[in-house]
Amino acid sequence: MARSTRRGRSKKKNHGSFIIGGLMVAVIVLAGMLFLKPSARSNEPKPFNIAQYRQDGSRFASTGNRYVLEGKVESIETDGNNRLVAVSVRGNSNELLPLLVKGDTPLQINITRGDTLIFDVSCRTGRDAEGNEVKGILIVNDVSIR
Amino acid sequence: MKTFRYIPLIPLMICAATAQMPNSFDASGRSAQAQNGVQNDDPLRAGESPPPQIFGMELPLLDPSNDTVSYGGGHFDLGNNAAVRERFEKYLSQTPDDSEQSRLYRRNMQEILDYTERYVRGANLIGSRVLVKIGRGLYNLADYPGDGSQAGVLASAMVSALDVQRANRRRDQANEELDKELDELVDKTNSLTNQNTQRGSGRRNTAGGAGGSGNSGYSSHTFRIASNTAEIARLRAQQGTNVAANQAALPLAKLNYQSVVLGFLLQRRYDHAVIGARVYRHLFRDGDTRLDLDENSDAYKTFTGITGMPPTINTIDSFASNARREVDQSIDAVHGALAQNKLGEATNRLITAVATGEYMQSVATFPAEQRRRIAAYWQLRKRALSALNARDYATVESIAAQMREMDVDFDDSLLMSYTTGRKRQSNFALRAARQAFQAGNQEEFRRLATEAAMIWPQNPALDEGEAEIARVDSFAPQMEEFRRLLERREFRTIYTERERFRVVCADHELEKKYTEVLELVAGTDVLLARLKQGVEQDRTMGPCAAWEQITLLLKEDDRYSTDSVFMEEYNKVSSLAHDFVEALRYAKECEERGEYGSALSSYYRAKCFFNGSNLAAEGIERVTKVIVNAQY
Repeated sequence: MARSTRRGRSKKKNHGSFIIGGLMVAVIVLAGMLFLKPSARSNEPKPFNIAQYRQDGSRFASTGNRYVLEGKVESIETDGNNRLVAVSVRGNSNELLPLLVKGDTPLQINITRGDTLIFDVSCRTGRDAEGNEVKGILIVNDVSIR
Repeated sequence: MKTFRYIPLIPLMICAATAQMPNSFDASGRSAQAQNGVQNDDPLRAGESPPPQIFGMELPLLDPSNDTVSYGGGHFDLGNNAAVRERFEKYLSQTPDDSEQSRLYRRNMQEILDYTERYVRGANLIGSRVLVKIGRGLYNLADYPGDGSQAGVLASAMVSALDVQRANRRRDQANEELDKELDELVDKTNSLTNQNTQRGSGRRNTAGGAGGSGNSGYSSHTFRIASNTAEIARLRAQQGTNVAANQAALPLAKLNYQSVVLGFLLQRRYDHAVIGARVYRHLFRDGDTRLDLDENSDAYKTFTGITGMPPTINTIDSFASNARREVDQSIDAVHGALAQNKLGEATNRLITAVATGEYMQSVATFPAEQRRRIAAYWQLRKRALSALNARDYATVESIAAQMREMDVDFDDSLLMSYTTGRKRQSNFALRAARQAFQAGNQEEFRRLATEAAMIWPQNPALDEGEAEIARVDSFAPQMEEFRRLLERREFRTIYTERERFRVVCADHELEKKYTEVLELVAGTDVLLARLKQGVEQDRTMGPCAAWEQITLLLKEDDRYSTDSVFMEEYNKVSSLAHDFVEALRYAKECEERGEYGSALSSYYRAKCFFNGSNLAAEGIERVTKVIVNAQY
């Protein structure tokens, strides 16, 4: 009896462990799906990590994601119709993010130095006059005031 | 006989040899070169180039090897000049013979001269008695050693001439006696001939008379006549023989006597020559005083060249008498010049007197004290000549100063200008050699130094130069090590041991490199000190600024990369400015990969670490331009 009782208790314990393990796996799989399947919400802006961008900007371009970030305009360089805006993003000390504002992009507001704005950007790869790739360039789609 | 031609030229030769000093030295130093065994490439050896000129003046050249002086386009062969000098020096070293025997000799010689002069002036011929007296006097003179038995030779020549004359007279007397004999024989023969003729005519008148006896008388006269005729022929032949003997003996005797007298002239024994010439017309009374010389001989040409007339015994008299007068005048001039401290002129005059009339009484009795003065001056002159040939110009100038003190007339202007010019030439060559040495041009240095030494071997600057060269040669190990360190670019080692390597400055090229190295390392040290100070003042940006400056210097001049101290500091600041350095490095890497977004972001990051970074600013500008102008 005693042996069957112990076996019975043991079976109950095993079933409980399986259930807990299965739940944990399910949670992990769901979490992974949430991270690894952004396409489900690809049209929505993402928070931006400058350090990651600096390390591998072209990867950002290949994903084709759009990002929304808030930054302060530190400098503006103009060449022709296009402008290059350097912004500092909160939480990224000693980092500046270069953003290209193309001349044909319709913007709601003016960008001036010292403004803190919300930039809607996407990462692309272009080509220079010789046909060489210009990788990982963040191009401003829209700008708004916080 | 050839030497005879040069007798009138002796004064000229002496003057050419013993005029002012520059007339007697080898201006080009050829003889000195020959003596020193120095290779001589002087074109004058080939006789093709003119003598050298200094300041436009042609300098006489004396080549002691053949005693030839070249001057003014002419070449003077001094011939016996060396012998003349030697005799002159011997004469100066001799003490005048003032012994009783010498005085007696001179007195007797003078008496004979006066005696002959008196008879020369007389219209009458002197007799044998006078001639014998003169001959005896000459034999007595021959006992004096200084005469060299020359008076005896003259006396013997006179005796020989007299003997010939006596023989001639004996033959003349014999001929006179033969004439008498001949006259008598002729008379007798004529008488006998007449008798025969008379007898012959009487027989024809008395035909058949004493015809037989008449024939016998005719026969006896005929034999006597024939005998006389033969005797007459023999006597006349004897006379002819005597005449021929006289005619043959006289020219021979004249020739013998003339050669003796001429020999005295050649030996410059003018007293003997004068006596011999004056006695001549008394020995040979035919009035013919012509010298029996071959017209092609040098002696004949010399005499005719001077007088333009055929040479006679009187020419010798004139020559010798004039030479005696000249010698005496020269000696008087010597005394006068010495009295005025004109040693140069006195020396020249005495040389002339000795060369032309060594055996003259005035020369032989020239005082010893005066000889010593002239000998001292002569020695100085010889030393100057030797010094010139040795190109010892300092000694020449010193001697010239002494000669100027001794001789109020001594003109050293040409000599001094010559020595000064040569000394300057040597110094100029030496200076150029020094410059070549400093420039490291060893070949040019060697050539110029040799030239300087050739021009003035005693140049004191040569010793200094030699010492300098020796000193520099002793630096060779340091120089070699310096060059090795330069090659290995161990500038810091050179700088650390700069005092030891300072000697390389003797070489102009190495000196430049030495200075460059010192300036480089010292400048580096100053820069590093300043950068260290900046790092200490700003621990954040200071290292970034230092790193950037060091990096720029390394790009500009790769010599910094060989400096251990510099590179140590570079590594140190690289560590301190790690984030800045890494940001720049990564920016550059991204830029090269075409990751312009990341590159620009990295340049921004670098600029955040060091706002004044030129490297970051340049990168931002460069990458921004690419991004802005690209097509998306």
